[in-house]
Amino acid sequence: MSGAPLLECRGLAADYGGPPALEGVDFAVAPGERIGVLGPNGGGKSTLFRVISGELRPAAGTVRLSGRCAVLPQSDRSRLDYPVSALDVALMGAIGRLPWWRRPGRAERRAARQALDVVGLGDSAGRTFGELSGGQRQRVLIARALVQDASLVLLDEPFAGLDSPSAERLMGLLDDLAGSGHGLLISTHDVEQVAAWDRVLCVNRSQIAFGPPASTLTVPVLEATYGNEIVTLPDDGTGARRGLLPAVHHHDDDHDHGHDH
Amino acid sequence: MLQTFQLAFVQRGIAEVLLLSVGAGLLGTWIVLRGLAFFSHAVGTAAFPGLVLADGLGFSAALGAFGTAIVFAVVVRALAGPHTDYDSLTAVVLAGFLAVGVILASDVFRSGASIETLLFGSLLVIGSGDLALAALAAGLVVATGLVLGPRWLAHGFDPAGSRAIGLRSPLPDLVLLALIALTTIAALAAIGALLAAALIVVPAATVRLWTRRMPAWQAGSVLLAAVEGVAGIWASVETNAPPGATIAVISGAVFAAALIARRVALPLRGRALAAGAGAALLVAVASGCGGGSGGSAPLDAVATTTQLGDLVRNVGGDRVDVHQILQPNTDPHDYEPRPDDVVATADADVAFTSGDGLDAWMGEVVSQSGGSPAVVDVGASVPVTLPGEDEGEEASRFDPHWWHDPRNAEAAVATIRNALTAADPPGAAAYSANAAAYLAEVRALDRGIAACMATVPADARMLVTDHDAFSYFTERYGITVVGAIIPSQTTQAQPSAGDIARLTDLIEAEGVTAIFPESSLSPKLAEAIARDTGATADYSLYGDTLGPGDSAGATYLGMERANADAMVRGFTGGARGCTIAGIP
Repeated sequence: MSGAPLLECRGLAADYGGPPALEGVDFAVAPGERIGVLGPNGGGKSTLFRVISGELRPAAGTVRLSGRCAVLPQSDRSRLDYPVSALDVALMGAIGRLPWWRRPGRAERRAARQALDVVGLGDSAGRTFGELSGGQRQRVLIARALVQDASLVLLDEPFAGLDSPSAERLMGLLDDLAGSGHGLLISTHDVEQVAAWDRVLCVNRSQIAFGPPASTLTVPVLEATYGNEIVTLPDDGTGARRGLLPAVHHHDDDHDHGHDH
Repeated sequence: MLQTFQLAFVQRGIAEVLLLSVGAGLLGTWIVLRGLAFFSHAVGTAAFPGLVLADGLGFSAALGAFGTAIVFAVVVRALAGPHTDYDSLTAVVLAGFLAVGVILASDVFRSGASIETLLFGSLLVIGSGDLALAALAAGLVVATGLVLGPRWLAHGFDPAGSRAIGLRSPLPDLVLLALIALTTIAALAAIGALLAAALIVVPAATVRLWTRRMPAWQAGSVLLAAVEGVAGIWASVETNAPPGATIAVISGAVFAAALIARRVALPLRGRALAAGAGAALLVAVASGCGGGSGGSAPLDAVATTTQLGDLVRNVGGDRVDVHQILQPNTDPHDYEPRPDDVVATADADVAFTSGDGLDAWMGEVVSQSGGSPAVVDVGASVPVTLPGEDEGEEASRFDPHWWHDPRNAEAAVATIRNALTAADPPGAAAYSANAAAYLAEVRALDRGIAACMATVPADARMLVTDHDAFSYFTERYGITVVGAIIPSQTTQAQPSAGDIARLTDLIEAEGVTAIFPESSLSPKLAEAIARDTGATADYSLYGDTLGPGDSAGATYLGMERANADAMVRGFTGGARGCTIAGIP
């Protein structure tokens, strides 16, 4: 947790032409940090990602990025039908760095293959993106981020719809990315998962809290974040254990062909 | 069967369709992938105001259409946000463009009738300008696709994340829309705005069902567009159908077959099934072809309009095979040449045109047919002429509806007789006798109509009709023209509310008892005005075209007699009509 921050948000607010969708956001991401972003559906997580990635202009405040930023979008049905291979998708990461008149060439293809090797999909480079499992698709998108040479990666609910072996594999990959100095901003509904990461950002239309999980994930903070959706689960004898019943989040993700190998 | 491909105009059509299919097949994949099908359809139709401007200000129609299409693309792109649905945006902008076009045509330029024909095209009359435009579109699409293709692909894959990936400029997308505009305009000359999708969108959508990668998809789409285009031209010549529509039918049928095969059958068997269905379709289309005409008369003649065909048949008799291009009740402005017309022109000894801008397209048919018939402009030699009313570049010097004065028909008969005699000297006696007999009937018609009109008091002879096609008739028989419902000569223009109010006041003030809709146009407007003023709209007139074979207006003589009858009935409140001895 040393070095200049990869991302610094100060007094950030955003809207879609109406009332603010998000306000009072104030945090920073250092190299190697995994930051969990918690919040209810419609609480502003995706809005925050849109502002950071430059898709949406902030209504107030500043976003300072010190490197490139990559986005892993939520799985989208239209993308499953797209006529591209895993390699094609990884290669898309190279385009933004090329002048407009240049097509990706041999060097870019080599980088894309290497990135697929890193995420463990070197053998699937030629497979159609839509035919891969949910976890494999997330890893292809991480390969795209690697080709892009992004220092900050935004992951929008990357674990949604994954079975547990796929989720564990993805988790391991995210740990590796952080180990190599990437900053990660990961939106999720799983409080247990976030507890293992470096920091947590709670948002519900405004920033509720930001800090290390141990001191931040308190019942009042979670209640402020999730409102009445929070429930407390009794844990045998050792006192009340925090538990969460998040809003049911459906990804009609019927393309998961089993888990990874 | 293969000799079809030896015809010069067919070869030019095939060259055009092959050039077009390069741009169309490649762009088609991007259009399907990026959800731009409606945009590509709309951008051709949106060219209408550009065509009006080009006509009114006197620059090339292709330039006007392309300029407007580019502006259309820029406006649509400028209004689009990252999440905008291109379809609804396109619809909004299209409505605006069409509205501007109608206002320009109706109120600013009083456009001539030729404009809407530019939205239609024909693969049978392809000029070198059309070929050049198609080649330009193909070259630009190939070159630009090589450079920008990866960006289009990445943006379509993840539109929301494209900024994060470094695709910040809206330029690649704008270039894509502009290329779609250029290719659509190039296709306009070949198959028209309404059917351009058959070449641009449908082949790509068909191949999409069977491919999983861009390179295969693009190669397949180009190939399929080319095959469907060539097959369409060939089938249209064999069946004498309009080639644009034939291509649309074939590509639609192949798409349906591919879809069914994809849904129903196993992948491999399905491919065979689709190929089989396609082949069966081609055979079915081919077997519909009839034999050649093979006439045995000494002379082959082509006549453009229905009334001209009737005059030539009467003078030519058995010695002349007449191929008449326009059919009854079709507006000469909506004409699209059919393969038979071009073939007949290529083989003809004489071609008769009506002249004064009414059938200016015939010059193109003659030059593209590769034949060398003697072209006779019958309208140029008529003795009675009235000034044309159109303004602008396409204006005609004289009102082209000359046949409504029987004295002009007499002169036309003489012109036709002389032309036939020059082309076939041994038939001179026959043509003279036929012409003399027919002239007697035309003179009887003239006298008969004059006698009928004399029974109506002069101040009751007041004519209100759709648009002013009857000046020769009214001048000849002393009829006062009170007004026309469509103030401009193009049927595409729309009268304003003020125009209609003025006409309604005039009809009431003058005590007009009848409004006469033209038989080949929709009578709705005339009926509405009749309802408001208490006049009748029950009597229709034959203006630009003869009626079908079983109607009173099936011949020239019948047409003029029926018009006189309708007018006398209208003027006299139905008390009497007009019958002329010896004329049906």
